[in-house]
Amino acid sequence: MTKYIPTIGIECHVQLCTKTKLFSEVDNDARLKEPNSCVSPVDYGLPGMLPRLNQEAVKYAVRAGLALNSAINLESRFDRKHYYYPDLPKGYQITQMFHPIIGEGYVELPNGNKVRIEHAHLEEDAGKLSHESGYSLVDLNRAGTPLVEIVSMPDIHSASEARDYTKELWRLMTYAGVTYGDLYNGNMRFDVNISIAEEGSNELGTRTEVKNLNSFRSVERAVEYEVKRQSKLLEKGEKVIQETRGWSDATGETTGQRSKEVAADYRYMPEPDLAPIRLSSEEVEAEKQKLPKMPSWYRSKFHDVLGADLVEVLLDYPQLMSKLAELTSNNAAVKKIANLFSSVLLAEENTSLLNDELPTKEQLLALVEMNEKNELSSTGMKEVFLKFFDPEMHYKDTRTIAKELGVVQENDTEALEAIVDTVLAKPETQKAQEDFKAGQEKVLGFLVGQVMKESKGKANPSSVQEILRSKLS
Amino acid sequence: MEVNQETIQHLAKLSNFALTDGETTRLVSDIKEIVGYISQLDELNTDGVEPTYQVFEMENVWRPDEILPQEADREQLLALTKETLNYQIKVPKVL
Repeated sequence: MTKYIPTIGIECHVQLCTKTKLFSEVDNDARLKEPNSCVSPVDYGLPGMLPRLNQEAVKYAVRAGLALNSAINLESRFDRKHYYYPDLPKGYQITQMFHPIIGEGYVELPNGNKVRIEHAHLEEDAGKLSHESGYSLVDLNRAGTPLVEIVSMPDIHSASEARDYTKELWRLMTYAGVTYGDLYNGNMRFDVNISIAEEGSNELGTRTEVKNLNSFRSVERAVEYEVKRQSKLLEKGEKVIQETRGWSDATGETTGQRSKEVAADYRYMPEPDLAPIRLSSEEVEAEKQKLPKMPSWYRSKFHDVLGADLVEVLLDYPQLMSKLAELTSNNAAVKKIANLFSSVLLAEENTSLLNDELPTKEQLLALVEMNEKNELSSTGMKEVFLKFFDPEMHYKDTRTIAKELGVVQENDTEALEAIVDTVLAKPETQKAQEDFKAGQEKVLGFLVGQVMKESKGKANPSSVQEILRSKLS
Repeated sequence: MEVNQETIQHLAKLSNFALTDGETTRLVSDIKEIVGYISQLDELNTDGVEPTYQVFEMENVWRPDEILPQEADREQLLALTKETLNYQIKVPKVL
């Protein structure tokens, strides 16, 4: 069987989380808002309305570009892309066809491969359509939301790499703080171009474009499906048709979308209503300074302490990473807290806690310290950690919480010895003491258990064992 | 640039409106005249001249990212549309 190598390029639309839209002063956060409640005459494209550029969106675009290791084009312009569709009432989308703000860059995947960025540009989103039987409904809340469209070079060669790339983009954009990154609500949407060619061939095959994917998983599945579908066609001696295809998560298949009667003819022209953007290198530098710590920083910082696998898991949670970054002066603390994050917080039953405020640096450091001093067992540490999220407890300091839970281990040797003596004086432990002295090691466990019981679980078992050994020798 | 019945019909289709034959004919001659007038510029030698994007020499015309009250509200804007349903704009089925 012929082996086919896929070649994949991805376009990604990122909704920027500015307060207002790209060209009008209305609320850009339409989550949980009623349809058509975040709109202005500009979004309706009423005659005579002029777009008013949001400076913050320009800054966000610069930051997005820096996160993509891209050159920022100091001069950029807007253009009109004409198409007639009810999701954009003015009959054209304002975009940057000829002079985009973000130039060439690259994204480095966790496996070390680089995907080059061809360019990225600012544009406005269109409204949301819902299709009912016999009619369609239009909600213009999303019309005019600022987008950065990131166009990759065709540097991706497998479904899993396509997934890694989209996930890495999500991380870069959320860490840069330019988007809410809520995929469920369409904050990032992917169009994937896929072609296949025989291994070793210098020519690329005919490509298809699967549009509007909104999760990493659907990107991966859509690529897997398309590669299989195209391979089958070629094996049968048929041809792949260049077309746009839609994806269904439910069926796991792509389907050809009815080709429009009129071929795309966007009649791009310079947007006369908007002045060009000219940035100084100082302004770009200022944005660079504002850029928070990026995934690459966390990777190099935590690789040796936590290992690559744990770092990749935690990277999906920017808030956990920035919390760990507060602890960096103490590697042992980073390791213990990272393990608590992954074993406790990311456990199925606790994921809702991720929406809560995280414990403070002081609470976490005290927790680690109590554990290191044997005042808290690892189980006790987990219990206290969970109470950091308890609305009744979270404001209290670590020691107070541990005391209230009664999980502080008794390490005071004198106090422990007294408890041990009490236990050794009890008639029910006499036989075990004799057995131990006669060489039966395993009864020590029974005696330790008795002491733990006597101390109401607060004794540190390893200290108890030590004391017992010295007293019975 | 050739302007004929076909060009006008194509543009009408892209803009999603219907033209009668009479309207098409009239537009062919109007647009021919306009394009012809503009074409006089072709006589000029523009080698080495940067394209003009705009005639006002402005740049960085932008506004702060602040929500402001709008001069028309949701109901007024929806009232401009032909038909609505639950505050959405109802349009013929599109795909």
